[in-house]
Amino acid sequence: MFPLTTLLAPLVCASLAHAAVLPAGLLAAAPLFGSLASRVPGIFFGLPLVALASLIFAATHHEDPAAIRLATVHWAVWLGGMLGVVLAVVLLLGWMQ
Amino acid sequence: MPVCAAPSGRGRAVAAAPVAIALPDDTVTPSSAGRPSQPHAPRIVAISPDDGSAIDLRNPAIAAALSWAVPGLGQLYQGRTHKGSLFMAAILTTFVVGLWLGGGKVVYASWKPNEPRWAFVCQAGAGVVALPAIVQSARLLGPARQPLLGGAMAPPLFPGQYVSRAYAERLAADDPDIAAEDFFDKPPLKQFRRDQLAIWHRRLGRFFEIGTLYTMLAGMLNLLVIYDAWAGPLGATDERNRRGTEPLTGKAAGTAAVPSTDPG
Repeated sequence: MFPLTTLLAPLVCASLAHAAVLPAGLLAAAPLFGSLASRVPGIFFGLPLVALASLIFAATHHEDPAAIRLATVHWAVWLGGMLGVVLAVVLLLGWMQ
Repeated sequence: MPVCAAPSGRGRAVAAAPVAIALPDDTVTPSSAGRPSQPHAPRIVAISPDDGSAIDLRNPAIAAALSWAVPGLGQLYQGRTHKGSLFMAAILTTFVVGLWLGGGKVVYASWKPNEPRWAFVCQAGAGVVALPAIVQSARLLGPARQPLLGGAMAPPLFPGQYVSRAYAERLAADDPDIAAEDFFDKPPLKQFRRDQLAIWHRRLGRFFEIGTLYTMLAGMLNLLVIYDAWAGPLGATDERNRRGTEPLTGKAAGTAAVPSTDPG
């Protein structure tokens, strides 16, 4: 934990120091992120959506933060498992053709 | 004094209407201290499925409207800061990321007979962040024939659509895929001769669909957030349906734990 903190501290300080030019920096970095995103397989764009849906489902079913965290994991496993089964069936059907 | 029953156990999760609870006569809220005792107006509360505590929903209609306008704002209005900030960060981030992935083109309102943008129905669930699309659509089809702000969230031009000369010149200058020759000169307007939606699809590829999916999901999940502001957590027990028959017991009886909102 300590080395990680040591590594991150200069980055955090640099970010704070450059907060004034952060929007311009983000705009400049947008093509870089776009380039990176174009290399990511499409299926991985579904993972944040599974996480988001799990989080919102959990938070709308519970009030206590600890219960929300637990339910988020529960929903993520359930949703991920269900989508994994669907993906496996689709791949199997594609392989059989 | 009619009060609500507290949950006595965990049952199956149901979606139930919020419960109106009247405070006991001897409850003195900070805002009413020092003034003659007045009967309290019933509060609308939900019972937490986690610990049975009462959740003050304040005015559920206002909270739901606020949650539609800005995801999580209704929960902040109800004093549920943790959930409100969580909803706001999660849904707005997803919407903005989807908009960015789709090059700022995936959120638009279009009701052309052969090509309605049904995705916008879902995207509009995210609240005011999607509303500029309606303004832009009205501006582009209205007398001005020109959207605001350079065309952000404006619908794509279809073949034969008339636009203002200024907007045509701006598109020809800013969009690398559109040239001045793509417009017929029809004074005082210009007529587009290509299909801008096809241009967007060719340029963005799969990211047009991915961005659309992100923004649609953000809007649809906000419907759950709106319901949470309206009626409390979905995981409440059957006991929430009982009202006005038994005195409060357990944690739900602790009305003092409910944030005071009654000015009287």
